[in-house]
Amino acid sequence: MHITHSIASGMGGMRTAGDLVARMQMSRGMKIKEAKEYVASKLKVSVSDLADPVVMNEVREDLDIGRVNALPRVAKGIDAKFRIAELLGIEINCVNQFKDRIK
Amino acid sequence: MQKIYTRMGDGSVVELSESEVRQDLEEGTKDAAERAKIPPLSEDDLQRLLELYKCPDKSVGVEKGKEVILSYDSGTTKFNRVNVSVSKLQSLQIYERMLGADTMEMGHMDYSYKPAKNIMWIEQPVFEQALLVTIPPLFYGAMPNLGLYTQPDGPCLNPMELLPQGKISEARATQEEMIEHAVRDMVYVGSLMYESGADGINFDTTAAAGDADFLATLRAVEILKKKYPQMCIEMGMSGEFILGMHGELTYDGVKLAGLYPHKQVELAEKAGVTIFGPAVNTNTNESCAWNTARAVTFTKACVENSNIPIHANVGMGVGGVPVTETPPVDSVSRVSKAMVEIGRLDGL
Amino acid sequence: MDKEQLIKEAEKSIIDADKAKAEELAKSAIAAGMDPLEVINKGFSVGIAKVGDLFGRGELFLPELILSAEAMKVAADILNASLPKGAQKRGKVVMGTAQGDIHDIGKSMVVSFLQANGFEVYDIGRDVETQKFIEKAQEVDADIIGMSALLTTTMSGQKTLIEELKKAGLRDKFKVMVGGAPATQRWADRIGADAYGVDAADAAEKAMKLLGEK
Repeated sequence: MHITHSIASGMGGMRTAGDLVARMQMSRGMKIKEAKEYVASKLKVSVSDLADPVVMNEVREDLDIGRVNALPRVAKGIDAKFRIAELLGIEINCVNQFKDRIK
Repeated sequence: MQKIYTRMGDGSVVELSESEVRQDLEEGTKDAAERAKIPPLSEDDLQRLLELYKCPDKSVGVEKGKEVILSYDSGTTKFNRVNVSVSKLQSLQIYERMLGADTMEMGHMDYSYKPAKNIMWIEQPVFEQALLVTIPPLFYGAMPNLGLYTQPDGPCLNPMELLPQGKISEARATQEEMIEHAVRDMVYVGSLMYESGADGINFDTTAAAGDADFLATLRAVEILKKKYPQMCIEMGMSGEFILGMHGELTYDGVKLAGLYPHKQVELAEKAGVTIFGPAVNTNTNESCAWNTARAVTFTKACVENSNIPIHANVGMGVGGVPVTETPPVDSVSRVSKAMVEIGRLDGL
Repeated sequence: MDKEQLIKEAEKSIIDADKAKAEELAKSAIAAGMDPLEVINKGFSVGIAKVGDLFGRGELFLPELILSAEAMKVAADILNASLPKGAQKRGKVVMGTAQGDIHDIGKSMVVSFLQANGFEVYDIGRDVETQKFIEKAQEVDADIIGMSALLTTTMSGQKTLIEELKKAGLRDKFKVMVGGAPATQRWADRIGADAYGVDAADAAEKAMKLLGEK
C-alpha cells in the first residue's frame, strides 16, 4: 500500500527533494505550494524538478546534502542534516543538539 | 454497455455501469455534505472522479509536479507486524533508502503513549542513533489511546461499564480523570523525545476513545508547544467525527462531540498543531467510488478551512482505501490521486 | 389519545430519552387494547432507529444513546409482557464482541434492538473468549449466537466461532450472526455464518427471519 502511494502521489523522499519540502512544512507550517516554491528557490531549480530523481540526484550531489545511493565520501546522516539546515535556513533539532554537545 | 471494474469497500470486485458509478459518486459526496454541513463536490470534481473510475488502467497517479509529502506513520511497527525481522533502525533505513519516505516515524510496538512511557530509556537511545544516521525528518509517534487508562488496564473506572448502568455523571467524571493521566503521559513522552532530537511528535489515531481523547490531545499539544515553541506536532485523527463518549466536553468554548474534520482542524490549529491528518472511515458495504467521493468531500472542506498543512490518512480502511488486509493497487492509487488532486492535500 | 398519536408519542419518547413517558405510553397502549407489536415496531423501534442514525452522524452522543436505549427497554419489557404466552419471547440470543476487541457500542445497539423486538438477550460483553460464547449459548439454550467485531484483526474470531461450533458438533444447534464495521455479507458467506446484519435494525430483522426459518 505504501509503495502504491509512493508511486501514485509521493514526492520521492531522498531520491528527490521530498525530505526537504517536508522540512519546510514541519518547521514553518507551510502548505505544499509554498513549501515547494521555497525549496525550489533555495536549490535554484524549478518546482517540477523537485520530484525528478535525475535532476535532484545531481543537485543533492552538488550540494552534498545526502544521496539515496551509499557512495564513498558523500554526506550521511547528521552530516547531511547540518548542510540541509544551513541551505534551507531552518533549525533542525538534532543538529542543534549535536552542536551543543560538541561545544 | 461496458461495465467498469471497481471494488466495494471491503475490497471485493464489483462491475458497475457508468451511471451506477456516477450515482455512487453523487451519493457519496451528498452523504458527507449532509453530515458535516459542507458543500458537496462540484460537477467538475465529480466528472474527474468518474473519469478516474472509468480509466481501465490498474494503477493511476497524479500529474507530474503535483506530488505531495508522503509520511509513514507508525513506520517501525509495520515491518514487525508482517513478521519481517528487522530492527527499528533498519526499518527506518529501508523507508529512507527504498520506500521514498518524505518523513519517517519511530514508535513502540504497543503503539500508545501509556506503554511507551515505561520504556523511554530504551526508546531514546535507539531514536538518538537513528537521528545520527538518517536524513529525512523523523517523528516519534504513538496513539493517545484513552481506553488504556480504564480498569482493568488503568486506574480509572470504565465509562463503558458505568454508562449501561445509567451512571452518566460518573461515566463523565471518570473520563475527565482519564484526560489528566493521558495528558501527563503524552507530555512526558513528547518532551523526552523532543529533547532526544525529534523533528516532530505525532499523535496518531486521536479521538479513538471519543471527545475526551481529543481534548486530552489538544491539551497535551498546548503544553508541549508552550514548552518547545519550535516543536513540529502532527495530529492524525481516527474517524470523520468526534464520538461523543462524554458529550459535554469543550475546548476554547467549542463542544467537541460531533465535530467533523473542517471544524476539528480549527481547534487543532489553535492548540498548536503543525500538521493535521483528517481520517474518514471506509464503509465496507458501499463501492470505492462512493467511499472516495465521500472521503474527498470531507477532506477538501478541511483543507479549505485550514491554515496549516493537511496530511490525510489514507491507510487501510480510511480515506476511501478498502477495509482489507491487502488493499489493491487499483483502489489505493485512485484514492491517492483523487485525494491529492481534488482534495488538494499537502501530504498523506 | 388515538393510536396514531400514541405511536408518534412513543417514537418521540425514545428520541427524547424520556423513560417515564415511554413507560406511561406503553401502559396506555395496553390499556387501550392496542397491538403491542404494532406499537413497538411502528413507534418505539422507529424512535430507537432514529437515535441510532443521529448517533452515527455525530448529532447525538453516547450518554443520550444509553438513556434512549434504557427508555426503549422499559417500554419493550412492558409491551412484550402483554403478548400472549408463547409469543412473549421470539428467541434467545447470546451477544458479545470478539476476543481482543474492546468496542461495544455497536454490539450494545444490536442488543437494544433485539430486546425491543422481543428477544431474550444475553449480553456477554466485549473482548470475550470464543469458548465463552459457546458455553453461554449452551447454558441458556440459545437460538442464536451473535458476534460483533470492529477490527479486521478481530473479525477472524467470527470464523473461529463457527469452526469451534463445528468441532464440538454444535453447528446445527445454534444460528450464527455476525456484524461490525469490517464484516460484510460476503464475509458472512465465506465463513459460513447464517446471517449478517449491516446495522442494529437490520440485525434484529435478520434474527427474526432466521428464527422463522427454524
